[in-house]
Amino acid sequence: MAGKTIVVTSGKGGVGKTTTVANLGTSLAKKKYGVVMVDTDIGLRNLDVVMGLENRIVYNLVDIIEGKCRKEQAMIRDRKLPNLFMIPAAQTREKTSVTPQQIKELCSNLAKEYDYVLIDCPAGIEQGFKNAIAGADAALVVTTPEVSAIRDADRVIGLLEAAMIRQISLIINRLNAKMVKKGDMMSTQDIISLLSVPLLGVVPESDEVVVSTNRGVPLVHNAGSKAGAAFRNMAARLNGEGLAPYGHESRGLFGRMKRLFWN
Amino acid sequence: MACIMSLNEKAQKAEKPPIRIKADRNGFTLVPDPVASLDDILAYMDERLEQSHNFFHQTQMVLDLRTRPMRTDEISALYAELYEKSQVKVVEVRLSDSLSFLLAGEAQKPRPASKQAGRDRENRAPLIVRNTCRSGVRIVSPADCVVLGDVNPGAEIIAEGDVIVFGALRGVAHAGAGGERSARIWALSIEPNQIRIANLVAVSPRGAKPAANKFEVAEIQNGVIQVISL
Repeated sequence: MAGKTIVVTSGKGGVGKTTTVANLGTSLAKKKYGVVMVDTDIGLRNLDVVMGLENRIVYNLVDIIEGKCRKEQAMIRDRKLPNLFMIPAAQTREKTSVTPQQIKELCSNLAKEYDYVLIDCPAGIEQGFKNAIAGADAALVVTTPEVSAIRDADRVIGLLEAAMIRQISLIINRLNAKMVKKGDMMSTQDIISLLSVPLLGVVPESDEVVVSTNRGVPLVHNAGSKAGAAFRNMAARLNGEGLAPYGHESRGLFGRMKRLFWN
Repeated sequence: MACIMSLNEKAQKAEKPPIRIKADRNGFTLVPDPVASLDDILAYMDERLEQSHNFFHQTQMVLDLRTRPMRTDEISALYAELYEKSQVKVVEVRLSDSLSFLLAGEAQKPRPASKQAGRDRENRAPLIVRNTCRSGVRIVSPADCVVLGDVNPGAEIIAEGDVIVFGALRGVAHAGAGGERSARIWALSIEPNQIRIANLVAVSPRGAKPAANKFEVAEIQNGVIQVISL
């Protein structure tokens, strides 16, 4: 079994890489796939908090690489889903304590046993970024509709292309539909025309995200949440399920009726 | 012993020339060896052109730099060498996806803006970039520069001649970097944060800009940079 290794990256910090990894990982695990999430943000780990698993950490990524433990010992099983695992980053070490080659080996070993390996990339384009993308065969670039985030995403896409990662998709996070309508925010079309990479999905801005992060329960567990639904749709698209491309899933009665006829 | 060494070296040279000349139905392609030095390449080309008499005279060649990136000053040295020897014109440069090597060798000395420089430039083939220039990419061309794709914010295109963009120009473009005031910037749509021609700098006006018809040209008129929609 050869799984897919996907790095989630953005360049700019705070745009929602870790949230995306947690939610996509959980959605895919809910579809009964074996999923491992690897936090490569050594020194600034967050994924364990978002997943609500911070009290279970014994070994971490650097321990695996230095041979202090087997990889199974460092993998933490999710509280709800038995086929979802997480490898936490080391908090007391530095990005330079691992090399891209070592991460590449680890990822290829994980991909043999699991369907999806999701890598949470640190912000920036230095050593940590190079480590994170080394083992990936596809990339998801997360951006928010802000000029600074888009500029960084553009740079990161350039670097990914230079690193021969061909499969790059875009996730637009925290889109505020009202502001786009008023013309105060860049629209999805504007962003795609600038970055020219295929879109995987758009996550609407929502207060629920902060709440779910603080509680340590990924949003996709919450059936009523729009942002959670967006992540579930993205996971389905990532999985190659034939879903209408983004934009056709218009909301409201008319949209729903149209969708009903379409299906 | 020394004799054997030199023999070995010669054998190696015969196996792996510093630059290979491939011929296909579109013409000649030059592929430099990834480890060869510029001097070796120049010396080898010199020898080949000498040996082949007029075989390569006035031909057009493609320079393939996907395995061995060259800096712009190295490319121009090779251009000059080929043109001087047998009027060979390099019509296309193939680059790898990573353009970061262009960031090295920034030893571009400013050329005096003379008529001689202008004529020099016409002899040089333009640098063709076949992908979108994303943020962080810097391209320096000793002649004209043609970009087949967009130039995104944060990218820089610097050319001694014209800058031609088949796409939207949103980054920084500098035409006539050597001081050539007649240089122009062409793009399907010019919406950059800054454009420079020779020693002049212009910023785009605040507010929404009317959409371009077919393409736009920026040039110096009466001492100021003007963008004209055509």
